[in-house]
Amino acid sequence: MIELIRVSHRYLCRKVLKEVTFAAEKGQITCLIGLNGAGKSTVLKAIMGLTPIHGGTIQIDGKPIGRDTYEQVSYIPDHLAVPPSMKLSDALQFMEDFYSRWNKDRASELMRFFGLDYRERAGRLSKGTAAKFNLVLGLAQDSDYIIMDEPFAGIDLFSRESIAEVFSSELVGSRGVLLTTHEVGEIEHLIDQAVLLRDGTVARTFECEQVRSEEGKSVVDVMKEVLLA
Amino acid sequence: MNRYVKLVHMEVHRFRYVLFGMMLLTAIWQTIGVIYYAKVRMDGWREAARLGNYAPRPFSFADIIGDSQFWFALPILISITVLGLYIFLIWYRDWIGRDKFAYRMFALPTARSNIYLAKATAILLFVFSMVSFQLLLLLLERQLFNGIVPSDYRMSSLFSEAVAANRVFELPLLPLEGVRFVVYYGTGILAVFVLFTAILLERCYRWLGIVYAILYVAACGTAIGFAANLNPYGYFYPSEITAIRLGIYLVVMGVTLALGFRLVSKKITV
Repeated sequence: MIELIRVSHRYLCRKVLKEVTFAAEKGQITCLIGLNGAGKSTVLKAIMGLTPIHGGTIQIDGKPIGRDTYEQVSYIPDHLAVPPSMKLSDALQFMEDFYSRWNKDRASELMRFFGLDYRERAGRLSKGTAAKFNLVLGLAQDSDYIIMDEPFAGIDLFSRESIAEVFSSELVGSRGVLLTTHEVGEIEHLIDQAVLLRDGTVARTFECEQVRSEEGKSVVDVMKEVLLA
Repeated sequence: MNRYVKLVHMEVHRFRYVLFGMMLLTAIWQTIGVIYYAKVRMDGWREAARLGNYAPRPFSFADIIGDSQFWFALPILISITVLGLYIFLIWYRDWIGRDKFAYRMFALPTARSNIYLAKATAILLFVFSMVSFQLLLLLLERQLFNGIVPSDYRMSSLFSEAVAANRVFELPLLPLEGVRFVVYYGTGILAVFVLFTAILLERCYRWLGIVYAILYVAACGTAIGFAANLNPYGYFYPSEITAIRLGIYLVVMGVTLALGFRLVSKKITV
C-alpha cells in the first residue's frame, strides 16, 4: 500500500500540499483528480522522492521511501524522461542495466503491442509514440506499484484507446496503480478509487463503485460537485 | 556491474563526441603549429646558409614548442573552457529540454550520492584524459618533428624542456614538480566539488539557492585563499603550515561532500 499521512509541501511561501492523506492499495487503480495546480503531480513526485516534503510521512508497504522504492514503484512521468539522442533499444538496455526487476520479455511484448521501432531515437518520437514508449519503460518493470502522471495528455484518440487497453490487461495485472488524469471520462470504468484534490488538500476520497451504486453518480458527477462547488 | 560504475559509463558515453572533438582539435591545431614553425626555422636555416653569413644554431623540439605558444595554447584554453562549462552542463542538461532526464536519473534504484560522485568522476576522467592525450600528443609531435626536420638542423631536447617551453604547460597544466602537480590538481578537484554543491543549492532552492550558492563558493574560496596565503616565514614552521593547509582543504572537502550528498538525497527538486 502506498500511504500518505498528513503530507505537506511548500514552494517558497506557498503551501502546495496541505496535510494530504490517502492510501493507494495494491490491486486497485486509484485516480488523483483535480484542477490544474491542485498538486496532483507534486504528490506523485513526493512519493518518488523527486521533491522534498515539509511535513508528514510517505510509506510504501509500511516502509519509508528509500532506494528500494525505485524497484518497488515504477514511475511514468508526463513526458519521456530519456535523453533525446538515445535510441529506444539503448533506453531499454539502460533500464535493464539499472533495474534488477526489469522484465525483458515484457518489454519486448509491450514494444510489439505498441508497434514501436527499436532503432528510433527518443527525441524524434511524436507525442503519442513517446507516451507509449514511456509506458513501456514503466510497465516492463516487475514492480508492485505503477505511478502515472497524465498518461493521456496531448495524445490522439487511437493512442488513448491503446493506452487505456493496457489498464485492463495482464500488463498491469495485480499491481497497484496510482495515476493523475484530466481525461477521467476515458477511464472512469476502470478506476477503483478516486481522490479529489483541491488547492493542495484532499477534498474527498471515495470508492467509485460504491458511489455509482449507492448515490447513482459517476466519478465526473462527484468531481463537478466537489471541485466546482 | 556496480551502479556507480554504470553511471560513470553513462556520463562518459554522453560526452564522448565532445571529448573526441576536443582531442581532434588539439591534435590538428598543434600539429599545424609544429609543422609551420619547423618550416619557418628550416627556411631561416637555409636562407642563412645560402647567404653564407653565419651558421645558425640547430634547433630542438623544445624551441618549436617555445615558438608556437599560441598554436599550443589555443586548443588547450578552448578545452579548459569547454570542460569548465560542462561542470555546469553535466547537471543542467538533465533539467533542460522537452524530455527532462532528471526524472529518470533520480528515480534510479541507487544511492543518490552515486549520481553526484559519478558526475564528478566523469569530469575528472575528462580532465585527465585530455592531459594524458596531450602528453601522448607531445610524443607524437616530437616524432613528427624528427621526421620532417633534417638531422643537420635539429638537436635533441629533453621531454621536460619541451613541456617547460610552453607557458600553458609549465604553469597550470603540466607542472613538472610533483608537489605543485598535487596542489594544482587537488585544488581543481576541490573546485569541481564546490561548484557541484553550489549547483545543487541552486537546484534545490532555485532563486534563493543562487544566493546560497554564491555565499557558499565565496566561503570556500576564502578558506582556500587563506590556506594558500599563509606566510611560510611567519609564526608557524613550514611543516605546521602544510598541516594547516591540508586540514583546511580536508574540512572544505568534507563539508562540501556532506552538504552535496544531503542536497542530492533529501532536498533535490526536479
